[in-house]
Amino acid sequence: MSEFQKKLQELSESYQSLQAELGTAVEARQKLESQQQENTTVKKEFDLLDDEANIYKQIGPVLLKQDKTEALMSVNGRLEFIEKEIRRFETQIKGIQDKSEKLKVEVRHMGYSHTRDLAFVKPQD
Amino acid sequence: MASKQGQPGSGQIDVTQLPVPQLQELKTQLDRELEHLTTSFQSLRTAQAKFRDCLASIATGISASTAEKTLLVPLTSSLYVPGKLTDHEHVLVDVGTGFFVEKDIPGAKDFYERKVKDLQDSLKDLEGVVNSKAQNVRVVEEVIRLKVMNAQEQEKGKTG
Repeated sequence: MSEFQKKLQELSESYQSLQAELGTAVEARQKLESQQQENTTVKKEFDLLDDEANIYKQIGPVLLKQDKTEALMSVNGRLEFIEKEIRRFETQIKGIQDKSEKLKVEVRHMGYSHTRDLAFVKPQD
Repeated sequence: MASKQGQPGSGQIDVTQLPVPQLQELKTQLDRELEHLTTSFQSLRTAQAKFRDCLASIATGISASTAEKTLLVPLTSSLYVPGKLTDHEHVLVDVGTGFFVEKDIPGAKDFYERKVKDLQDSLKDLEGVVNSKAQNVRVVEEVIRLKVMNAQEQEKGKTG
């Protein structure tokens, strides 16, 4: 009985830590998505501009003038990076979900076998 | 994003078949989602208002008539120095992620109008989502109410 409880507690603890992990991963993915959104709008805006438009990049408190190609390149680079990161987090999230699903099944199995054991024990006392 | 998930009444799970505790859980979840969507709606509104402010600033602050006048430039919130516009035909527009683009006045206006319009479209979409969520919450609430009332009546029937 106490061993059963101990096992159950262990399982639920690992389940909770998995849930917390899932939460941070989802949050990180959301943040990346909003960054992706912002970068895409910037890219769209750049696409509308003339080639000789003046583009400035803010570095700290100063604005530095930049070529359109250069600016476009850095935005594209960022988008690529963000896409990769999103994919990375997606696989991570999927892994965590699979793990927690397995834990759930395990807990359920334990519950079944426990009630079965109890049913066996009961008539005896 | 998650608007299509977990809609009660649409599809496999019939809400009237669920027990009250589960319905209550569903309701808190829906409430949370609704709250999240409403805050998003609010922040979109604020963003839109900001862009409108920019449009108003361009319309009132930058024109040939203001070019000659001196203006006070804030250095801090309480310290101002007199200044003058050297160029009343171009502005720098923040397009996001630290990039600024030099635009002429019509271009800047066009930019902000586009932003306001985009946000308007998003607001409209979000409004639909919020409304359907609110509808879902109402349905779940109604089912809970009916279930509780039925249970009470049955209780009465037993005792009386």
